[in-house]
Amino acid sequence: MATLSFAGVEKRYGVVQVLHRVDLEVADGEFIVLVGPSGCGKSTLLRCIAGLEEITGGELRIDGRRVNDVAPRDRDVAMVFQSYALYPHMTVRENMGFALSLQKHPETVPRVEAAAAMLGLSHLLDRFPRELSGGQRQRVAMGRAIVRRPKVFLFDEPLSNLDASLRNQVRVELRRQHAALRTTTVYVTHDQTEALTLADRIVVLNGGVVQQVGTPDELYFEPRNRFVAGFIGSPGMNFLERLEDHVVGVRPNDVVLGAGPHEAEVEVVEKLGFESMIHLRLGEEALVARVEGATPTGRVRLDFARAYRFDRATGERRG
Amino acid sequence: MSLALLLGLLGQAQAGEVTLWHAWRGDERLALDTLVEQYNAAHPGTTIRPVFVPYEALSSKIEAAVPRGNGPDLFVYAHEKVADWTDEKFILPVELPADGLHPVTVDALRLREQVWGWPLAYKSLALYYNRALVPTPPATTDALLATAEALHGPDRWGFAWEASSAYANAPWMHGFGGGVFDTDGAVRLDSPGNVAAFRFVQTLAALGPAEPSGALLTQLFNEGSVAMIANGPSFLGEVGAVDFGVAPLPTVSATGRAAAPYITVDALFLAREGAEARAFADWMVADEAAEVRHRVGKQMVANTRVEVTDPRLVAFRQQLDTAVPMPTRPEMAQTWEPLARAMRRLVRGAITPEEAASEAAFQYTIVSRPSPPAADPRPWVVAAGLGLVAAAVWLAREVRGAPIARWRFAFAWVAPAFSAMTLLVVLPFVVGAAVSLFEYDQQAWTFVGLANFLDILLARDFPLTSPLSFWSTLAVTIAWTVANVVLHVGIGVALAMLLREPWVRLRGVFRALLILPWAVPSYITALIWKGMFHRQFGAINGLLALVGVEPVSWFAHWSTAFAANVTTNTWLGFPFMMVVTLGALQAIPRDLEEAAEVDGASGWQRFHLVTLPLLKPALLPAVILGSVWTFNMFNVIYLVSGGEPDGGTDILISQAYRWAFTRGHRYGYAAAYAVLIFGVLVLYGRVANRFASRKVV
Repeated sequence: MATLSFAGVEKRYGVVQVLHRVDLEVADGEFIVLVGPSGCGKSTLLRCIAGLEEITGGELRIDGRRVNDVAPRDRDVAMVFQSYALYPHMTVRENMGFALSLQKHPETVPRVEAAAAMLGLSHLLDRFPRELSGGQRQRVAMGRAIVRRPKVFLFDEPLSNLDASLRNQVRVELRRQHAALRTTTVYVTHDQTEALTLADRIVVLNGGVVQQVGTPDELYFEPRNRFVAGFIGSPGMNFLERLEDHVVGVRPNDVVLGAGPHEAEVEVVEKLGFESMIHLRLGEEALVARVEGATPTGRVRLDFARAYRFDRATGERRG
Repeated sequence: MSLALLLGLLGQAQAGEVTLWHAWRGDERLALDTLVEQYNAAHPGTTIRPVFVPYEALSSKIEAAVPRGNGPDLFVYAHEKVADWTDEKFILPVELPADGLHPVTVDALRLREQVWGWPLAYKSLALYYNRALVPTPPATTDALLATAEALHGPDRWGFAWEASSAYANAPWMHGFGGGVFDTDGAVRLDSPGNVAAFRFVQTLAALGPAEPSGALLTQLFNEGSVAMIANGPSFLGEVGAVDFGVAPLPTVSATGRAAAPYITVDALFLAREGAEARAFADWMVADEAAEVRHRVGKQMVANTRVEVTDPRLVAFRQQLDTAVPMPTRPEMAQTWEPLARAMRRLVRGAITPEEAASEAAFQYTIVSRPSPPAADPRPWVVAAGLGLVAAAVWLAREVRGAPIARWRFAFAWVAPAFSAMTLLVVLPFVVGAAVSLFEYDQQAWTFVGLANFLDILLARDFPLTSPLSFWSTLAVTIAWTVANVVLHVGIGVALAMLLREPWVRLRGVFRALLILPWAVPSYITALIWKGMFHRQFGAINGLLALVGVEPVSWFAHWSTAFAANVTTNTWLGFPFMMVVTLGALQAIPRDLEEAAEVDGASGWQRFHLVTLPLLKPALLPAVILGSVWTFNMFNVIYLVSGGEPDGGTDILISQAYRWAFTRGHRYGYAAAYAVLIFGVLVLYGRVANRFASRKVV
């Protein structure tokens, strides 16, 4: 259990700067998700917390202690890798107990068994990683972190190697674990759905710069700039360049069909069962509407239930 | 088979054609070709056909071809094989012209009242001296000692010779009234004369450079660091810009006798009767041809009527008057190693002259011990026959019902590799194994059954702790293998880990540089290290001197000699382990080590709990391979320590070599060694494989 504090954290590789002045306070027990496109620096930030990368500027504190120069092994953080990084020559039991057995911890056995029971791995304890399915391996990796009862959990895209249905299942599981353990968690993903469903707060990163920090609702309903607005929410926000001076952003479910000041042409209808995606052409611009029930054809009138306005040059929110 | 074909072609003779095998090169060959051309032109009915055969191959070719009738009519060889060849009736007695040939050269070829070849040329040691340092060469050993003492300085010496060589010390042995044989013709290495000679050798060697080898002598003489050396006529071509003279070796002051070196006589031997061959040989030793051989071929010819004008060559002619023909008796071959071994210790100061003499005599009794009694081969033949039948039956049962016809093509594809393996691996192995059941003596093979194995395994001829015993050599071999493999793996893995570190710059360059020792042929590396370990001129003692360490006599003690061998072989061996490790490391994700790092493992824990277990599957086969190579690493042992001190650092394979080639051709005994080595390695391979096949990942 711990707080995390970033003060102007920077990371450079030679002349390439991958993190620009990151400031962030993470409360004790909070579940923080770092999200952003590939190469935005989110994994680097996570590895800086673990100590696998040295930070080149600013200050990082775990539970108030400055850890800039502290070795990974002395930071008391646990990390779940995208590849799981299970030790192939050790059984599940040895994998999960590895960190504690290094300390010759007296509770190694009971803790491993408790974690295995919690994760449904009890019957697999004497198997080797090569004898497990992808989902089982993922749980072992989580178990290895849980057993340690660290100050901070770090997850590096832990679900990206699972198939879609398993991913949903594990996502719920993760949320449940966190509710039970209340360990401060930093979770990296490029998938905004994961971010929205898991996070207490989300950090959106782009090009090594923090775009916005907020709860899922804040990010969804009050994006600070065009990048956040476009990145959060699925399908993504429509941006209409020619309607006004500012860029107008409309979420597909805020497009109301049937009446209104604008007229558009239906180009394609994607039926998704309960709802449908209507691809429209408004003047020269494309627009997606998400509707339930009957789908229109031909020309339709439409209105926006809610619209955002962004500065054409800077992308900052203007209204 | 191809050898037989080749021999057939070489030996094919037509009427009037005389085939002549020789190993002469350079000027000597030029002289021969000139003479043959001249002779063929002058004798229309005769064609002399000279065939060059490399020296290393010449004697074995003769021994293989002559008895089968495929040999030459004439061949040129050194006289030392005369006894062997007359016993085998390879060569025929000859009539020499009444005068003109130096009697010593004729004596060399005389056996049982007959002469067995035409003496062509001779060589022996003589005294080379640097005129700038020694205006007149010493005529007596006292004068030699005085000069050596007077000229001895920090980096200069008065006299040097190959003090540990039995050949180079023969002049002193003869001069002091000793020698290899006593007056009855029996080998006697511990005679009073030899003891006196050894005392002189010890005194003289103390005034010379350490560990003088042939190459070192050449270098030191050419640098002017050594004023006088004893060397043969071939050294004439190696002298650099030194103003030098050559004189006969001095007279021994204590006895008044000349220090008589061995002479070796190159002679023409007659392998097949023929008037043309005899006529040509007579002509070759006669004045005209001898003149050409001397002028063109730069030979010291046996014909005394050839006028020698170069004063340096005159010295060799004078030396001939006192020289002793190299004995041709078969016992001679077994005296070299015992003498050399005693002399090495003597020169090093490890033993007294008396001890050296008795040591030599004792070693000689070991290497010349009588052959084991002949055994009855019949049970063996029966057993081998039964074994073959059993194998055939087993094979028949294995293939019964198998659709061989359908696999015709498969067999065809495999056939080339299969026949090559059979010819190159299986057959030699079977022959080698069979040889171990025989004893070879005086050209004769005697079936002795398991006597060789029993002699070796029961250490019948020498104490268990003697360096000559199988078991102590096995212990040394195992220590050698373990020390090497531990170092190879340790250094190889450490360097591979280091090369992976991101902070190491120029990784590619280092990787290439570190693989380099592997790319250099091992004997070259071994010779370089041998030079670096030289007591006086070696780089290692040079570096040690910088930090104030006294020069170490690396090959005088077991531990330092062993360390020198291990160092050399480690230099040769670590790159392989490094390359294997580098490859295996590629397959280990960095994640695993990072996970361990976050899990709280220290650097060492990460290595031995995570990285090393994952390297094991790749390293184990490499370790097995490396240990087999090391177990049989002949080059390093032979070239670096040469088994010194006293054969203590010899390993099984070098011991086997010595029994086969430097201790009187005990081929059967050596083959038994080889079979035992094979057995040890098969056993090791089986045990190691069991470890390696345990699934780790």
